[in-house]
Amino acid sequence: MTQSIVYNIPATMVGAFRRDIVVRFFDPLETLQKLTQYDLKRLAYLQILGTGGDIDSLMRLEHSVPVDLVVQHPELDLPLLYRYSPLIAERPVRVSVRVAAGFSKVVKLALSLNFAVKLEVTQPEPALIEELLQIANLYLHQTTVSQPVEFIHSIFWSFYNRNPVTLWAIQEEDPARFRYITDLGVETLSRRLAGVESKYGVASFIREFAEELLSEKQECCDCAFFENCAGYFKWPRREYRCDGVKALFQTLRAAAEELRADIVSFGTPGQENRP
Amino acid sequence: MKATPFSLILLPTLECNAECDYCFESKSNHQLSLDKLSTIIQKVIDYMELNHFEAMSIYWQGGEVMTMSPKWFEQAHGIIQEIATRRNRQVTNYIQSNMLSYSRKWNRVLAEMFGNSVGSSMDFPNLHRKIKGGSPESYERIWSRNVREAKAAGIEVGVISIPNEQTLNMDAERFYSYFVNELGITDFQVNTPFPGGSQNDVKMGFPLETHQISRFLMNLANVWMEHGFHRGVRVGPINQLLDYFVYGKKNLLCIWRDNCINEFVCVDPQGYVAQCDCWVTGYPESRFGNIFDAGSLSDLLRNSEARRRLQTRPGELILKEDCLDCAYLTICHGGCPVRAYTVHGDLFRKDPYCQLYKRLFQNMEAMAANFSRKN
Repeated sequence: MTQSIVYNIPATMVGAFRRDIVVRFFDPLETLQKLTQYDLKRLAYLQILGTGGDIDSLMRLEHSVPVDLVVQHPELDLPLLYRYSPLIAERPVRVSVRVAAGFSKVVKLALSLNFAVKLEVTQPEPALIEELLQIANLYLHQTTVSQPVEFIHSIFWSFYNRNPVTLWAIQEEDPARFRYITDLGVETLSRRLAGVESKYGVASFIREFAEELLSEKQECCDCAFFENCAGYFKWPRREYRCDGVKALFQTLRAAAEELRADIVSFGTPGQENRP
Repeated sequence: MKATPFSLILLPTLECNAECDYCFESKSNHQLSLDKLSTIIQKVIDYMELNHFEAMSIYWQGGEVMTMSPKWFEQAHGIIQEIATRRNRQVTNYIQSNMLSYSRKWNRVLAEMFGNSVGSSMDFPNLHRKIKGGSPESYERIWSRNVREAKAAGIEVGVISIPNEQTLNMDAERFYSYFVNELGITDFQVNTPFPGGSQNDVKMGFPLETHQISRFLMNLANVWMEHGFHRGVRVGPINQLLDYFVYGKKNLLCIWRDNCINEFVCVDPQGYVAQCDCWVTGYPESRFGNIFDAGSLSDLLRNSEARRRLQTRPGELILKEDCLDCAYLTICHGGCPVRAYTVHGDLFRKDPYCQLYKRLFQNMEAMAANFSRKN
């Protein structure tokens, strides 16, 4: 079955789209009072750009539509996350944070507040790789963590299930599934690719880009994680060296294999006495 | 509608028949009239409607609630039910009493209004709870007699206990046995004392020494696991922490929520609104306003500078203290603001029992892992 396309649109354009929409805005007070129950039912989720907006209007929102809170300035926005903690009782809340200096503090606090987390990652430098590894260890081993940290969570389960899922899909950046409508109303590829003049087809962007990378017979060609990455870390700079992200993937794969082995060692429930 | 109820700590009186050494309240003869109760309930339900709360829990505390009459509570119950029914809201009532004035006259209202359940408090040994003008011994004698009588009438009694210097030096098994075996209490909770309200020699000894109280609580946890767990005895906060580390249930004490201002609000008989009973009478500067003077509870809460300070506390702690480095941030968030304020004189410090909490969390996490391996 063909999956429908999800559009990320500015709040001013709600009337122009029928369903599967992500509505983004800065100020909940200004936006939410304009959304009708009909509008809310058509939403995939609300995306709030920044942590400084009015919280009362969100608290009074009767519909349980999920919220994606985009932390744009990790160091500045960190203490403000607490303002949003009451929301979790009424609706799923995810904190999206750019992998930039200080992001791991945001992740730790968001997880402590039971928010799911999405890491907005592009081509991280070595210092940020260290922070990513710390967060992976937190996700994998700290008993008090109960929420997913994307993309780490889905990659880990992909390794565990031995069922490849690409980072483009996990990160909601595959143009075949996700489109971005600019504030001026122009439809572009997904958010990360907004404004890019692509030589590839929109629906086949990921496949064509991946094939091109493989044909270049460079780093991707013999990468053990290419099925999951599909060139995600080679955009926009193809010369980006992936040693750090490979170490992260290796950590996740080792943990997934360890979990598989542990579960196998316990046996399949109900089959203990079978020969 | 919201799945969680709105919680109101309601103090209908500030009169008390006891003089406990570590009381943090400023007592007075103020009592809530039924007319004013009606006004409070109307305004709280206005707030609930605006914020989509379907249900409310009212925690009746004092002063001492049983210095008022059972008849007053029966009338109060009628008023609350009438307003709640008319406005399509549900109300559940809980009562906290020292039980010194309990008699069988209370049984009907305890059954009809409070689900045949009452929360009380007692220490072992009792050094600091005293009847007005009396001794700890007379307090304990009357309390024990009344608790036994209430239990005989089918009323469940839960107990909050504050450890003192003698408690910490005793065998935890003896402490456990006093409540469970001698009194038949199957639900009790150990709270930490803090130097709130007017100062005296006893409060000078707070906070209690971390090593002693953590050792006592862990011994108590072991005793409970051996003797009480399988019988359904609940010993807070130990049983809640085991539930959290085994099953992920986050039904923890108010001091360990992400911010207590999201959980409840307190109103005293004069209509003063504050975060909880620990603040409202003893710290006038902490009040959010007066519910009788305010146009609405929403306006009062929204415009309160004192509430705004409390709201920012956990975020400030993340920047100033070491909470973000703690593996247990998700079940602590810097702990109790009133404990921080009364010990440090600064709201923006973490709870003075931080080290106790960490040891307790570590030990309960280990106990939970051991429990999971065996079960």
